[in-house]
Amino acid sequence: MRPRPASANERRQLWAGLAFCSPVLVGLVAFTAYPILASLYYSFTRYSVMKPPVWIGTANYAHLAHDELFWKSLANTAYYAVIAVPVGIVVALALALLLNLKVRGQALYRTFFFVPSIVPLVASSVLWIWLFNPQNGAINALLRPLMGSLGLGEPPGWFADPVWSKPAIILWSLWGVGGSMVIFLAALQDVPRELHEAAQVDGARSWHRLRHITLPFISPQILFVAIMGLIGAFQFFTPAYVMTQGTGGPVDSTLFYSLYLFNVAFADFKMGYACALAWILFLLILACTALLFRSSARLVYYAGEGR
Amino acid sequence: MRALGSLLVALVLTLTGCAREVTEVGGRKVVRVWHVWGGTMAEGFTKICEAYQRAHPEILLKPVFAANDLATNQKFFTAVAANKPPEVIFVDGPQVASWAEWGALQPLTELCQEAGITEHDYFRPCWVQNEYKGDVWAMTFCADPNFGFVWNKQAFREVGLDPEQPPRTIADLDRCARALTRRQGDELVRIGLIPWSQYGAANSIFTWGWAFGGDFFDPATQRITADDPRVVKALEWMVSYAREYDVTRIASLERGFGAAEQNPFITGKVAMMCLHIGGIADLARYAPDLDYGVTFIPAPPDGEQRSSWVGGWCVALPRGAANRREAWEFVRWVCATPEGTELVGRATGLFPGWKASPYLQRVRTRRHYDKFLQILQECRHQRPVMPVQARYMRELSRAVDAAVYGKLTPAAALRRARETTQRELDLITQSDRRAGEGGP
Repeated sequence: MRPRPASANERRQLWAGLAFCSPVLVGLVAFTAYPILASLYYSFTRYSVMKPPVWIGTANYAHLAHDELFWKSLANTAYYAVIAVPVGIVVALALALLLNLKVRGQALYRTFFFVPSIVPLVASSVLWIWLFNPQNGAINALLRPLMGSLGLGEPPGWFADPVWSKPAIILWSLWGVGGSMVIFLAALQDVPRELHEAAQVDGARSWHRLRHITLPFISPQILFVAIMGLIGAFQFFTPAYVMTQGTGGPVDSTLFYSLYLFNVAFADFKMGYACALAWILFLLILACTALLFRSSARLVYYAGEGR
Repeated sequence: MRALGSLLVALVLTLTGCAREVTEVGGRKVVRVWHVWGGTMAEGFTKICEAYQRAHPEILLKPVFAANDLATNQKFFTAVAANKPPEVIFVDGPQVASWAEWGALQPLTELCQEAGITEHDYFRPCWVQNEYKGDVWAMTFCADPNFGFVWNKQAFREVGLDPEQPPRTIADLDRCARALTRRQGDELVRIGLIPWSQYGAANSIFTWGWAFGGDFFDPATQRITADDPRVVKALEWMVSYAREYDVTRIASLERGFGAAEQNPFITGKVAMMCLHIGGIADLARYAPDLDYGVTFIPAPPDGEQRSSWVGGWCVALPRGAANRREAWEFVRWVCATPEGTELVGRATGLFPGWKASPYLQRVRTRRHYDKFLQILQECRHQRPVMPVQARYMRELSRAVDAAVYGKLTPAAALRRARETTQRELDLITQSDRRAGEGGP
């Protein structure tokens, strides 16, 4: 059936509708679509903002292969993503399971664990600089007697030591798992009680019930948190910038991809190269997300799919 | 339909910022100065601006705090790109050449000639820093003699060193540093000196590299010389401290350093260091009873004696700025007149780069400042004048970092800094020759 031509009245209404939408539409085109497309164009140019861009073809992309810092920052970012994302999921899930127990003051505990995730990133980074202070920080003050009594020697130097700087940032990231925790907590409410009860009657222990009932039911949420976490990990910037004063030190150990991109763009004003870096980052995130979706198809259970 | 049209017009006008920047108010030309001074320096700078405004009621001077440094220039560059720059901009000395190359500034050569300002009016490194490709691009607001070497006399006394005998050679320095260092268990509680911690790793290698007799750039051939054998020697010496005192323990101590009253020289965590002229005022303010001395930095016998280099902030006119005459008048007043330069000195405690400034006469007999004045007068170096300076400083920092943490040998680390920076520099010089080709 072919659509009936619109009447004059309908057309008038369409225009009115568009007029009311126009702030959003114009905003979307001017501030999102245009910059994205422009950055693609600039990635093929040499461009320092104040002089017109010069077309250099794929030279920016070709240069990536020889750029030591590109590989270094990519490796740092991968290290962070591969460790921080799964560990974050495990911690958030463990917290959600604990906070799902019916105990007195449950709401209070939930609030306590959620609050850190709403602290602004810069503020929490500055706070953690002090917590990680190797000599006077709270973390080492706790670790020192503990490690001393176990005969493990001195606590780590954190940001004073290239080996410990990334683990320090990963530890910091765990402080912000409140967001994922709330998602898991909500998901846990949807796990059918009767399945748990039936399994209990059949003699299933709590680990088996977690493994075979709870986890399948909340697997879509786990996938969601994993994907959002992965995207966040690839774009990781603020704490590294704040905690190392933008240097990515010591010895480039916290030079994450976005931090390198930022330096290329705003310290060297090589906007063309920075745009190329940004597009490579976009493609990497796209590929990883697609991979995660595909590989998880068998692992994720959507209730109501009737499988 | 008409409603939609007018809505769109309004939107487009808002988005494109139809409101032109106000360059004139009630017949008075507006001169906006984007400056970088916060804290107590801001008070001093406000005094300077107020004095100029009183003497020049025909203009409207508007100082605006808009920080910029080696990696925070977005605000200013966007303003230039959008053709709405301020009338006057502060630029860090080593950045002048880059900004000129990138097209952020306008040349001041003719204005200088008209005003009769020549290179002989300034301490040589100050002038050299502001000249690029045959033009003058900025005027020196303050000349920072880098550095005064300060030593804590009280600490010297405590460990049985002669408090009136600061180290003159590197061997002396090592001996004093060893004596002054204190540990509690394995941890450092006071260190004699942290060679790579003199206002950042890049400024540190500049300081010691020159003191060891090395150099970083050959302007004639446009070659980066980061791995000059004497610079390598300087870095090897720096690395010896990383080995002797354990770099991680030093870095742990450093994580507790701060600014102002938390300055490690005040808190007693560091007994000897390089100090910038602004630090003298800080010491007077936060630790008036601290017993210390200022002298030239130590150097090896075959190095450069009484070595120093000049840093400091400059003022410039952005490309495309309005009210050029009025803006230049302000720049000339703060940088090249007896009244202006004297007020800069009095209000900020920094040294003008203009040799005839009465302020420099005034500080000749003032304790500590007299030493800094000598250092300035004998100063021979400025950081390399070339358009990839920020990158060079980052690469030098990485080299020092990699070497002190033992990831690369000093020679290999500096070679990497040379190669990377040279590649960036060549891209610019090549594109000058054949615009439109080449790499990123």
